[in-house]
Amino acid sequence: MHGLVLILWLANVLLDTSGQLAFKAAAGDDRAGDGLARWRYMFARPWIWAGIGCYVAEFVVWIAFLSLVPLSEGVLLGSINIVAIMIAGRFLFSERLSPLRVTGILLVAAGVAIVGAGA
Amino acid sequence: MKRFYAVGFALLLAFDTLNLICFKLAGTEALPVAMDIAWLLRVFSHPWIYGAVVGYIGAFVTWMSLLKHAPIGPAFAASHLEVISVMLLSWWMFSEPVTATQIAGALAIVAGIVCLAFAESREETAADAVPA
Repeated sequence: MHGLVLILWLANVLLDTSGQLAFKAAAGDDRAGDGLARWRYMFARPWIWAGIGCYVAEFVVWIAFLSLVPLSEGVLLGSINIVAIMIAGRFLFSERLSPLRVTGILLVAAGVAIVGAGA
Repeated sequence: MKRFYAVGFALLLAFDTLNLICFKLAGTEALPVAMDIAWLLRVFSHPWIYGAVVGYIGAFVTWMSLLKHAPIGPAFAASHLEVISVMLLSWWMFSEPVTATQIAGALAIVAGIVCLAFAESREETAADAVPA
């Protein structure tokens, strides 16, 4: 992979994963309550804003990435986000990784590696 | 109800695909890539980028409506299987070559997504079995 493409790919994984984790942290706060009060509580705290910031940055990075690689290849390489989020969820939110999940993660990672090696 | 889900999953896939195709069209129009204001202005001056935004919003609303009741496994798969539709459309619209490595990689990724979708369904069933 070309240098800039690699940097954009890594930035995309990082921003997407951080964004999802930030939203998870915002939505998973038990003290937030229900309904409109929940939204008010979330918007008064940094997590949801961190998530939005990541997504805005990701928008720019993703379009730059896709304009530099063939679309089919870009979308396949982008599938690594699934893997990154599941692994991050395991460490930060102690989400369980069942054998079926691990198999899925390994298959997606292998697929991305195959496409990446050919790129 | 089954038909509602089928339409929902198809719609989600369509919005995700629209988003990616429009991203590619807007990005290509705005080349060369540069991390500056001029590039961003080029990106946002092309109507395609707004198609991508419509795709984002449509996918978000569809996803939220589906998740209220739909089984999470198929929903998860539908939200990631746009790799297939996008591959076919890139070949057709942008004449991108579909190579053997790409097909091999795509098969592994799709198999992985299917495993993860089954894992999600199973987790949900397990969670439902726990008495409240």
